Amino acid sequence: MNTTVFTLTLRQFAGQRRSLLMFGLVLIPVGLAIIYRLGEHADQHEETANFLADIIVTAILPLACLILGTSALGSEIEDGTAVYVLAKPVPRRDIIAAKFAASALIAASFVVPATVVSGLIGLQGVSEEGIVIGFAIATLIGVLAYTAVFILLSVATSRALLFGLGYVFIWEGLITELFSGTRYLSIRQYSLGIADLIATVSKQDFEANLDRPEAFILAAVVAAGALFLAVRRLESFELTDTD
Amino acid sequence: MKTASEAGPAGSASSAVTIEAVNVSRWYGNVVAVNDVSFSLGPGITGLLGPNGAGKSTILHMAAGFLRPSKGTVQIDSMPAWRNHEMYANVGFVPEKEAVYPFLTGYQFVLLSAKLFGLSDPAGASRRAIQAVDMEAAQDRRLGGYSKGMKQRLKVAAAIVHDPRILLLDEPFNGTDPAQRLQMTALLHRMADEGRTIVFSSHILDEVEHLARNVLVIVAGRLVASGDFRAIRRLMTDRPHTFTVQSSNNRRLAVALVADESVFGVELGNEHLTVRTSQFADFARAAPRIAKAEGITLQELLPTDESLESVFSYLVKR
Repeated sequence: MNTTVFTLTLRQFAGQRRSLLMFGLVLIPVGLAIIYRLGEHADQHEETANFLADIIVTAILPLACLILGTSALGSEIEDGTAVYVLAKPVPRRDIIAAKFAASALIAASFVVPATVVSGLIGLQGVSEEGIVIGFAIATLIGVLAYTAVFILLSVATSRALLFGLGYVFIWEGLITELFSGTRYLSIRQYSLGIADLIATVSKQDFEANLDRPEAFILAAVVAAGALFLAVRRLESFELTDTD
Repeated sequence: MKTASEAGPAGSASSAVTIEAVNVSRWYGNVVAVNDVSFSLGPGITGLLGPNGAGKSTILHMAAGFLRPSKGTVQIDSMPAWRNHEMYANVGFVPEKEAVYPFLTGYQFVLLSAKLFGLSDPAGASRRAIQAVDMEAAQDRRLGGYSKGMKQRLKVAAAIVHDPRILLLDEPFNGTDPAQRLQMTALLHRMADEGRTIVFSSHILDEVEHLARNVLVIVAGRLVASGDFRAIRRLMTDRPHTFTVQSSNNRRLAVALVADESVFGVELGNEHLTVRTSQFADFARAAPRIAKAEGITLQELLPTDESLESVFSYLVKR
């Protein structure tokens, strides 16, 4: 990994409106968890686990990674500043690794604490049953897989945000729900599977579609595959605004 | 194609070839941007000249490794430019786009470049590069507040921070004021004198004329001429050459010159003669001889259509 590119990427995020957007995004589940706690609850385990699955894993996690992953290199490609990094004798795998590490670090530093805080608020007064730790690890793994995929999209297409939204809301939100076989191609399902694997809560309270160790393996394969393809794509990067 | 290989590195098969394009074409779908272009460049300054949309930037980007040739090869130091990030250790590239990292100061921008080049003393190299483009006074200001010309100079500083042997610049004078152009021109001349290969694209003839005698003229994606533009002009035997002649007796000299075979037109002006000839070298030799034989003092003999503008105009109209 190239530390200069890593530091540059962190500075880029710090100076962007995206970081403010990220703050707003992660405050949503915490706020909702507080509101939830103000009401009456029949089963805190079930409700909290499903809250974390439906709000954090389904929406906040992919959106945070989409915002950060597509802009890590995508915004530089779009505005033309990527040339200042690419016209250097730096292996493309080092550039992708640095971009991935920086964006995953920032995404994780927003999403994982939001998961833990929301979970602890939801489970206040009852045993944790591995829900908080399960979802914390699940979102961490989800961050790695989503970020890798969105970085790949940003170097593969100029419409990364559009394709990313399509993946999250159409593929994962619609098609995976309709056709169970497609769960093997859904990072959301991997994340939920990991949470289910770690949490000791009963199956009646929370059960994922992919609650086996395959979830870990598939997440790792998808992340590694996406990063490999991103490196290959970046090696063939072309400047297209030529006369 | 007009080639003036004797005049310089452009178009020549020099022993110190650093950039070589062989039968290079590049197309986008059905649109051919560059069509079967070949050239060899060595140390010195070469201007890539052509109208907007001619394919200059496409050629420059292929040389910089940022575009894959659809056909043919572009080599830098005998290695393919495409998919070869290691070549940047010897290559500096200044893109045309104005975009820079607005949150970095000028110094941080050049330092970033120095670090990415893996230099042993990035801070020292950055200071030297900033000094070379005369930007010390503004180096601690953020790039977001720089003028276009200042950004251009900082981009050049970032591209030369590693002391490259090859420098590629895409429209480097965009947005620069006359003083900045002079400063940049002097810098590039100095670098060329040190034996570096410098290639820049431009559609502004004055810029090219001040900076480079050697040109690659691109028109509609084709290389129509390469070499010293004055030599290219002399190779255009189908176009009359025009000289301005001033002497102690213009009228009598006009009569004598008309009798010479190399001359096919003389126009008598108030203070000088305008002579048209089909044979540049023959006339340049004959004129002093004829004047001497007539007992006339020849005060000035100037070829007037050897400017890059006239050469370019001829080539574009062909």
